[in-house]
Amino acid sequence: MSTIAGRLRAVVDPFLALRRSGLLWLVSIAALVALTVAFWPAFQGASGISRAIDQLPASVVDAFGLAELGTPAGFLRGNLYDLIVPLLIGGATVGFANGLTAADEDAGRLELVLAQPVSRQGVFLARSLAATAWLVVLTAGTLAVQVASDRVVGLAIDDATVVATVVLCGLLGAFHGGLALLVAGLRPRPGLVLGLTLAVLIAGFVVTALFPLSDPLRDLVHLSPWDWAFGGDPLRSPTEPWRYLVLGLPAIAFTTVGAVAFSRRDVEVG
Amino acid sequence: MTPGGSGEVIRVDGLVKDYGPIHAVRGIDLLVGTGEVVGFLGPNGAGKSTTIRCLLDLLRPTAGRIMLFGLDPARDGVATRRRLAYVPGELRLPDRLSGGGLVASLTAFRGPYDRRRLETLAERLALDLSRPTRQLSSGNRRKLALLLAFLWPTELLVLDEPTSGLDPLMQQEFLGLVREARAGGSSVFLSSHVLSEVQRVADRVVVLRDGLVVASGTVAELRGRATRRVDVTFGADVPVSEIEALPGLRDRRIDGRRVTGVVTGSLQPLIAVLARHPVDDLLVEEPDLEETFLELYEEPA
Repeated sequence: MSTIAGRLRAVVDPFLALRRSGLLWLVSIAALVALTVAFWPAFQGASGISRAIDQLPASVVDAFGLAELGTPAGFLRGNLYDLIVPLLIGGATVGFANGLTAADEDAGRLELVLAQPVSRQGVFLARSLAATAWLVVLTAGTLAVQVASDRVVGLAIDDATVVATVVLCGLLGAFHGGLALLVAGLRPRPGLVLGLTLAVLIAGFVVTALFPLSDPLRDLVHLSPWDWAFGGDPLRSPTEPWRYLVLGLPAIAFTTVGAVAFSRRDVEVG
Repeated sequence: MTPGGSGEVIRVDGLVKDYGPIHAVRGIDLLVGTGEVVGFLGPNGAGKSTTIRCLLDLLRPTAGRIMLFGLDPARDGVATRRRLAYVPGELRLPDRLSGGGLVASLTAFRGPYDRRRLETLAERLALDLSRPTRQLSSGNRRKLALLLAFLWPTELLVLDEPTSGLDPLMQQEFLGLVREARAGGSSVFLSSHVLSEVQRVADRVVVLRDGLVVASGTVAELRGRATRRVDVTFGADVPVSEIEALPGLRDRRIDGRRVTGVVTGSLQPLIAVLARHPVDDLLVEEPDLEETFLELYEEPA
């Protein structure tokens, strides 16, 4: 892209094209977080729940994030950050990445764009940036609503651990979004991009949740990006820096390879 | 224009494009010079759009070489696309933008435009730029694409089936725009399957069928290859043996002193025969170029 205005426009236009779905995802996740935290006072005083959970095998409690459900960290982990928030942010990011690359290309909407004096890699990276921008909006919005809700209902937890957890959710989303961009760069098939990437996202959770229940499979849990993100229990203990890198760097690498692949193949023009 | 000279805007040598086992383009050569309007004709599926998408580097050739303005579009795509404008055959515009929004969006890539030119084009094409593209009819979307192509001055216009969906009035307006672009020094590569539209503005015509060039030349040259219906009434007995020996005369019927038939190519042999015999009446119809092209489309490549 030749000018700063062109580069900016190449990001802003696709970003705005996603505004409806992006805002819908943001409102949905924010509402989920706020409503869940609103139930904290009920959980805090319900000793019966803790006693019931204590009856379950330790491996099951760990697998489903039920440990210490009566504590702020356990409550947030079990109800939000063990599965649902990372899954929603990851799914949304995959959708953004797919929508701006493979789906637009498959529908022939890139033909007019790529007929302009722009490079293919530039267009692909600009669209990747637009998808990333929505990921940042979702992550920042989730964090803001989480921190505000904690204050409102008196859920006492260190903000730093909440920040680390939500950022890790965002990076897990970036990892899978990057994977979607890689597949889209190789093959402009929206169904393939969505199916493959969401399968990896869900399989990662299954590995993290269920493999610890099996002795032969237990060690394989470290293959899961979910374990890289949340294996250190970021709501309870400081997060090691490598956890950010091991999610963020592949996301960048996947996107770069996707852009290179996109620049070397035929463009799907509908 | 001399092949290999500096006046070449498009040069294609031996272009081949395969999609797996499907041979979409099977080795074509093309040349478009500065200020030239070249019609690119062929039936649906002939390989016109594939060729054009190779020019724009949307598709990568399986074999062959493409040069635009002396540059390789695969290597210098940004530089080549800066010097051309393109109207896609299958038009898909971003739904959320209005016509004006789309102009603004492309301004970021193509630089400022002449506002009066925009107003004039919108008026000539009877286009409301405030409406979102999703609310536009297919004809109005096509007009918007034409406006975008003609708004910025470019050295080359690549137009793929540009009048598809336009009413006759707008087709006239479009032809006017093409003539003005040529007068301004632009070259135009105009793909169509409608001969009548191309022959009114094209300096040369290239006919494609099944991925191969089956005819090329000026409209006048192609007219020379055209079919003409002839109707001759001799003043004496028909010289049957001479008539039957005439090259290029087919569908001949002899009825008394009257001979009818269809001549393909030059009329010279027929005229030579007629000159040797008394002729009471002679009718030669205008060449039917449409019929000629339909024949070219139908012949095996």
